[in-house]
Amino acid sequence: MAVSPLILHPTSALQNTRSVSSPLKNAASTQTSSNGTPLAIQVVPNAAAAAQSTSLDIAEQLNEDEKRKYVKGKKLGEGTYANVYLGFLRSDPSQLVAIKKIKIQKEYTEGMAPDAVREIKHLQELSHPNIITMHSVFSSKDQNLNLVLEYLPLGDLEMLIHDTEHIRYGAADIKAWMGMLTRAIWFCHQNFVLHRDIKPNNLLIAADGEVKLADFGLARSFSDPYRPMTSNVITRWYRPPELLFGAQHYSGAVDIWSVGLVLAELVIRTPYIAGNSEIHQIQLICQAVGTPTEENWPGVTKLPDYTVDKEVIPLRGRDHYMTLFGTLGAEGVDLLMKTLSLDPKKRITAHEMLKHDWWHKDPRPTRKQDLPKKSGGQAKVGDDLKRRPGVIDEEKGNKVARKLDFGATK
Amino acid sequence: MVSTTSRPLTGQPQFDTCDPLSPRRLSQALLPSSHDSHDPQPSTPAHKYLGRLRASVRVTMATEDARYRQSSQYRLWSFSPTHLQSLREKTNSLAVSHISSRLRASSPPVDPLPDFLTPADEAMLLNFYIVDLLRAAQFCELPSEIQATAAIFFRRFYVTNSLMTYPPRALTMTCIFFACKAEGLYYRLQKFADKFPGITGEEVLAAEYVLCQGLRFAFDVRHPYRALEGAVMELRRLGDFDEARIVRAHQRTRDILKFSPLLTDAYFHYTPSQIMFGALSMADEGLLQRLLRDAFSGQSESSKNHVLETVQSCRAMLEKEPPERRTTFWDASGSKEAMKPLNKKLRKCRDPDRVDLVALQKARREQALQKTKGKVATKDDSDVFGASNGTVKDDEREAKRRRVAAGADMFGPPL
Ligand SMILES: Nc1ncnc2c1ncn2[C@@H]1O[C@H](COP(=O)(O)OP(=O)(O)O)[C@@H](O)[C@H]1O
Ligand SMILES: [Mg+2]
Repeated sequence: MAVSPLILHPTSALQNTRSVSSPLKNAASTQTSSNGTPLAIQVVPNAAAAAQSTSLDIAEQLNEDEKRKYVKGKKLGEGTYANVYLGFLRSDPSQLVAIKKIKIQKEYTEGMAPDAVREIKHLQELSHPNIITMHSVFSSKDQNLNLVLEYLPLGDLEMLIHDTEHIRYGAADIKAWMGMLTRAIWFCHQNFVLHRDIKPNNLLIAADGEVKLADFGLARSFSDPYRPMTSNVITRWYRPPELLFGAQHYSGAVDIWSVGLVLAELVIRTPYIAGNSEIHQIQLICQAVGTPTEENWPGVTKLPDYTVDKEVIPLRGRDHYMTLFGTLGAEGVDLLMKTLSLDPKKRITAHEMLKHDWWHKDPRPTRKQDLPKKSGGQAKVGDDLKRRPGVIDEEKGNKVARKLDFGATK
Repeated sequence: MVSTTSRPLTGQPQFDTCDPLSPRRLSQALLPSSHDSHDPQPSTPAHKYLGRLRASVRVTMATEDARYRQSSQYRLWSFSPTHLQSLREKTNSLAVSHISSRLRASSPPVDPLPDFLTPADEAMLLNFYIVDLLRAAQFCELPSEIQATAAIFFRRFYVTNSLMTYPPRALTMTCIFFACKAEGLYYRLQKFADKFPGITGEEVLAAEYVLCQGLRFAFDVRHPYRALEGAVMELRRLGDFDEARIVRAHQRTRDILKFSPLLTDAYFHYTPSQIMFGALSMADEGLLQRLLRDAFSGQSESSKNHVLETVQSCRAMLEKEPPERRTTFWDASGSKEAMKPLNKKLRKCRDPDRVDLVALQKARREQALQKTKGKVATKDDSDVFGASNGTVKDDEREAKRRRVAAGADMFGPPL
């Protein structure tokens, strides 16, 4: 059996550490080193003093500087692993920010929450007009992480889609929103980042109407394709068939499927494939798109969790999509069909999406400042946010209830 | 302004978003293709017209460099050599003065004060512990990217923290564990700690927070490995060299990259592709020359020379720690002998209050807890981001914060 390399170093600082920190050892008689200098380590350690220490090292100083730049205000919303607060710049209170404070998770006892690590890691690297900007990160004294994000006051795409009573929009608006989403996802993929939770609820809207992709708590880099990845990502309704079948090697195509479903939802104003379990989700995909078979998707039957109903539903033709999504025009429907290709290898890429003809066909996309905005005042935002579901595959009951709420409150 | 939404093809990534507050950035001169930064927009005409084979290395370099300039590695963790040196000196002297006053203030006061580590001592010891870290990471059979990420985390942490302040052996463990997390490889804490006798999960986590802060919350490290795969593909496509030579150079370059840049400051001064070229130049200068000739055909001599100079200076840095040093020096008894006096010195001069990170972490948590309970009305209590999880308390605190923000009574009524 291999031996831990660490025991090669019996003189390790850590091992000494222990004897030093023992209170008994500290009471021991004065030790002297070979040259007669008293050892500094006889000093009684006082961790509390260090914790309270006012003398800051450079990193602490930088952190302190960051923290002092912002003032935190009222709560804007609550996510699965964070609370989001309104904040402003101390030096200029007119400059608003959103402060996402990571909750201490009692169940997770392995240090910093992986969602927070992922979100911070990727937002640090991605700078694009359609991706939420992270201005800064700092930790508070109690070791809570705070992400300072750009403040996006106009809610999210889900609110617009479902507020059928107050919000009217058309093909030009959809094209504008989709253009922004597609550029965001293109940029992620260019930078080897998979978002893995694209849905209307994670598409926030800036004061100027710009759509911003947010919530990178499930994102990861895909630089090394040989390492298996979890298939348990993306909110069920937006989850592509390869993940439902348990694929552990996948690509940017998973995000594209979600993008396609956002497009479909924008048109019909209700989630297009809304299963109440993974099995149900697969059944609904078969009905909406067609049954995945070796013929239309070579290799699919080898995926770990491949199961479909005996009765094979043939791939839906263009006519079917035209009936449902005809408002997008023939080009728009073509793009939609390409995002909903069952075989991820045949699915359109973000880059190809950007080159699609749809963008150049009439109607031209609406200018962002002219896009429809959510109705109601600020107070309403908070209420809506409270009902927001979490990241991963939450129980369906929640979602349905929330949808009914939307109707009831208006 | 024409709305960008009307032209979905021209998604314009913004490249000049460097944080003006970040440490002085690497001089543009160190970036070979800064004069030639292609818009990574996919259908850029330049991309269309250049011959595919020809262009690939250069375009790769260009778009990678353009992208690289957005990265936290560039924005927050790239320094000129003089800046890096001054940061380390500052870190060292801050630690010395802090520990000195701490020792003088203890009763009885420590007199005379111990010898402190010099910045040069710290640099030596840093590498000693990085080799240690690599050994431990290999023992866990981690992929080389994660090993390298852990090593770079460690190097970065000790730019702004002295070895005298935070015990390096504990930090090696924390860096490895956190690197796994940052790279999306979920190692169970207990399983990890069990690999190392005498190390508990608590100890591994104790410095995680301090580490993240020291990393300035930049968890993405850009490595040169992918650039190497690209270069090797390109060499094969060129077809000028026999396969055996390419395979040999590939292996040798990989070995260099897995060691030399981690034991030097290469990541602080050079881009991943520069580091790759520097290592390739060590492995097989002819291959490097061939690649660059191709990449820079049709460009001015001066721009090519400029790149060559950078690559050569990177190579000189890497050559200080060639992979052989691992066996001939670091794993040999010689290094232990050389490091012994330094480790001994370290034990005498380290911060007595931070030796036990678990205790330190507990103290920090306790203080946070006390603050939430509102039992201590210290100055910190007016801190706008104090601890609180309950919503009700949040509201109370919020009210207080608003008052603070409005310039009202800073501390509220006495508790
Ligand atoms: N930058 C922001 N500006 C305004 N509201 C925000 C911002 N970021 C998040 N929110 C609101 O707070 C809620 C939780 O944020 P989110 O990032 O989705 O957290 P989680 O990852 O836990 O779902 C969201 O529903 C969102 O509407
Ligand atoms: Mg969310």
